[in-house]
Amino acid sequence: MTNDVAMNVDVDLDIIAEQVWSAFLNSGEDEAIFAADDKGSHADLAASVAMVGAYEGHLVVSCSHKASRDVASVLFAMEADEVSQDDIGDALGELANVLGGNVKSVLPSPSQLSLPRVSATEHERWPGTVEVCRTVVSWRGEPFVVSLLSGGHAVHKTQEVPA
Amino acid sequence: MLGIVIDDSRAMRKILRGLLADLGFEVLEAGNGQEALELLQSTGRVPDLALVDWNMPVMTGLEFVVEARKIAELRQMTLMMVTTESEHGQIVRALAAGAHEYVIKPFTRDGIIDKLALLGLVPVGVL
Ligand SMILES: [Mg+2]
Repeated sequence: MTNDVAMNVDVDLDIIAEQVWSAFLNSGEDEAIFAADDKGSHADLAASVAMVGAYEGHLVVSCSHKASRDVASVLFAMEADEVSQDDIGDALGELANVLGGNVKSVLPSPSQLSLPRVSATEHERWPGTVEVCRTVVSWRGEPFVVSLLSGGHAVHKTQEVPA
Repeated sequence: MLGIVIDDSRAMRKILRGLLADLGFEVLEAGNGQEALELLQSTGRVPDLALVDWNMPVMTGLEFVVEARKIAELRQMTLMMVTTESEHGQIVRALAAGAHEYVIKPFTRDGIIDKLALLGLVPVGVL
């Protein structure tokens, strides 16, 4: 079942990422490169939202500490060295939320989106999932890997799907 | 004019607060629907406009719209959903529950201002 869904999903993550970056992370000189190369990219943090319903899976965006701090700095309009860990979690979580909602709109419906979750990549696992597609956005010289997973529905279903 | 931004993301609240403030609004903030209802009840204030996220803990934006529509004092408040939820069925549900407008994240500043102008909520001469 999971693999059937994975095979039938046609999502253009590049277009969605481009819309999100140009709306929220376009601060003049920081032009983003879409469908970038992810060779050698290292991610410290992963933000994800779960989708539960007609489509079961996760949208995950992962990046380095520096990149996450830059995202928070732009969204909160603060200097990078002024943002707190809370700010970083909030900003990266909202980035996953907006990417996830837009991805969900082109997946089988109806599905519900969970609240975002942000954690260190070393603690983050999505057992039972397969990656359906991924893209890499290079922004301020840092890679952001945006990945759509299918399956693994039990992972953050219970606590984080709004009533 | 008075606006309230209801979103669980502080970053998003800051962006939307700035946008409304530039239009001359005084702005209140709440992190979910329940917090918004309690704030409006405790202050007795009635915003002209509420910008409402959908996915929030405790009380979602849709639940807030349903509850707000039951409160006579809030009947004049314009409700604009500002959310990443963009399935057709969800837009229909929100509008049926009493939301006046629906903006999908990611939004542009101009996109929101255009919708507010259509609702008569951009004061003449501000832009
Ligand atoms: Mg939200």
